[in-house]
Amino acid sequence: MIRTLALALTLAGPVAAAVPEVVNEHAMPGFQAFSRATSALADAAAADCTPAALDDSYNAAFDAWLGVAHLQLGPTEAVTHSIAFWPDKRGFVGKTLAGMIADQDPVADDVGGYAEVSAAARGFFALEAMLFDPAFDGYETGSYSCRLVQTIAADLARTATRLETGWAGGFADTLLSAGADNNPVYLSKDEALRALYTQLMAGLEFNAETRLGRPLGTFERPRPTRAEAWRSGRPLRNVELSLKALHGLARTLANGPTPETDAAFAAAADVTANIEDPTFQTIEDPQERLHVEILQQRIQAIRAAVSDEIGDPLGVAAGFNSGDGD
Amino acid sequence: MTGRFALFLATTALTAAPAFAVEKAEVIDTYADIALAGYEDSLSTARALQAAVRTLVDTPSAEALEAARIAWKAARVPYQQTEAFRFGNPIVDDWEGKVNSWPLDEGLIDYVDPGYGGATDENGYAALNVIATPKFTLSGEEVDATEITPELIESTLHEADEVEANVASGYHAIEFLLWGQDLHGTEAGAGERPWTDYATGDDCTHGNCDRRGAYLTAATQLLVSDLEYMAAQWAEDGAARTTLESDEDAGIVAMLTGMGSLSYGEQAGERMKLGLMLNDPEEEHDCFSDNTHMSHYYDGKGVQNVYLGTYTRVDGSTVSGPSLSDLVAEADPAVDTRLTGELESTMAALGAIRDAAEGGFHYDMMLARGNAEGEALIQAAVDGLITQTRSIERAVAALGLDQIGFAGSDSLDNPDAVFQ
Repeated sequence: MIRTLALALTLAGPVAAAVPEVVNEHAMPGFQAFSRATSALADAAAADCTPAALDDSYNAAFDAWLGVAHLQLGPTEAVTHSIAFWPDKRGFVGKTLAGMIADQDPVADDVGGYAEVSAAARGFFALEAMLFDPAFDGYETGSYSCRLVQTIAADLARTATRLETGWAGGFADTLLSAGADNNPVYLSKDEALRALYTQLMAGLEFNAETRLGRPLGTFERPRPTRAEAWRSGRPLRNVELSLKALHGLARTLANGPTPETDAAFAAAADVTANIEDPTFQTIEDPQERLHVEILQQRIQAIRAAVSDEIGDPLGVAAGFNSGDGD
Repeated sequence: MTGRFALFLATTALTAAPAFAVEKAEVIDTYADIALAGYEDSLSTARALQAAVRTLVDTPSAEALEAARIAWKAARVPYQQTEAFRFGNPIVDDWEGKVNSWPLDEGLIDYVDPGYGGATDENGYAALNVIATPKFTLSGEEVDATEITPELIESTLHEADEVEANVASGYHAIEFLLWGQDLHGTEAGAGERPWTDYATGDDCTHGNCDRRGAYLTAATQLLVSDLEYMAAQWAEDGAARTTLESDEDAGIVAMLTGMGSLSYGEQAGERMKLGLMLNDPEEEHDCFSDNTHMSHYYDGKGVQNVYLGTYTRVDGSTVSGPSLSDLVAEADPAVDTRLTGELESTMAALGAIRDAAEGGFHYDMMLARGNAEGEALIQAAVDGLITQTRSIERAVAALGLDQIGFAGSDSLDNPDAVFQ
């Protein structure tokens, strides 16, 4: 008890300081990088729409998304499905793209109007299908599919720009002015802190339960093709990059030494090296499955460390998150 | 850790003893009473549905099918209001998949349009069509489905091959058997299954009418027995009720967890925003019957019921008592006023969707690509649900219950944790 109270008193000052630092040092640079990387992808697609030419820029843009994907707040909440529609439990991505291609839907030539189409035909997972799924990736320069890829990439870049402006031009202030009379969203500084802390805890949970939990399935029935972005070989990479970003958020939010949390993140990073297939497509193998399960447990251990070392002393608990439903 | 929790309790005790006119135990009683009434109403309306289904199968006619559809819609009204009890009460959450799973790959059960496609990456049995197939192989096992029984549906078919979309039981399986697929896309219109799908002899359409009738009968019987089970859990010594009574703080957290998780992750996110983003009428909660607007409305109503501690039963009588609202008002009147107002605004937004849909602007039309009016209607309700969720968190904090998270469990975002 004495230890807990002492910590709470020591950190009472930095609590208020943590929110601006998360906004200015974690969120804003992340959204800027995401916007730059998606613009580069759109430019690359405009120059050459074929899959081989877009491999690097697609991956770089996806990497940048993982730097901010856990910040499911404000402007992000409205567009997150159109950037990364996953999990796709009923195969909407393939169905929607196949329908558009079969109909030669003219919206493929209308970047401005593309924001109206189904989220399943937008963002990274639509691009992944077009670039990496043999059902779609055989197109040639100048074809309908080629123009579709260019438009999906351009639409994604526009979304990223809107996201960056949405944060820079408004939502960053909403977080920073928490507790001010004219702030209708966060009625106190603690509420802004709780909102950010919730993103940290929910992000960890999403990695463990969804990014790893879906392909793990059950021991009797593993589900390799339920791994996130497996066609583009990204399942483990997405977890690693997300954890890296979440560690950054944790450190910034805590605004002080967090040895227990740092050790927990390092312990998770250590076991990723044991996973032989970063696409999780050999997860049926008991040994490989075990390695993924260990990573899952290490991520749950990070949650416990964060709760002890950051949540408790800052006097904040996670609120509701968008993954609370089914 | 323990010390901190004890400190919080001590603080509460100082103010609580003289000031709190409302006891947590009474608030939990009201909540459990509303749950009991809600499941009893769900049960009685499901029995009425069962009677209507019996008439349809025994003496098929257009009128009998219509009567069964009306009974199904009536049964949804009390059931949807019980969804607020799901998250936060593991006993409900572990069970609800049997009665309200959605969305479903309906081709598992019966014939579908050729445009539906066949098996998918996710589901090898998406087009199994049990009604037309008395014997088949499922996950390597031979299945004899010559007799379609509640047992077959519950143990063999439901979530077959561990695929969630293999929904063989519950309201939505029955809905599909009464309406059939809605092939109107984002145009007006619901499923148009002909009554002759249940006719005998040469009048039978789409084949296997006797097996279709057997499936519908068995699925309805199963729904009734599942609801009997859940109503019993909320009776005087029922497990759901006694669990809440055994730890009052955890009980209050369960109530608020149910409100917040249904409002935000489930209804605003999974059920409303996602459908809007996908422009897909299959993402309607009650897609066969076009009854989605009602489902959404009564989900919202259920959340409001829990907070205000009042429920209007299907016979028009009211169950009410000391409420969460009373409790929060004593702790922080501003939070109570705000949350009460926000719940009301959400109900106005959900009411606007309901009225528009009843007036002919159907929910699936609202989802169409580029339909700005529909998007505005749905988005207003989504925004209302998100806004009220923040105040539900405020209520948790005002009652000092976020400290439960510090006492060694995972906190609010893992509702089960408080019971473990």
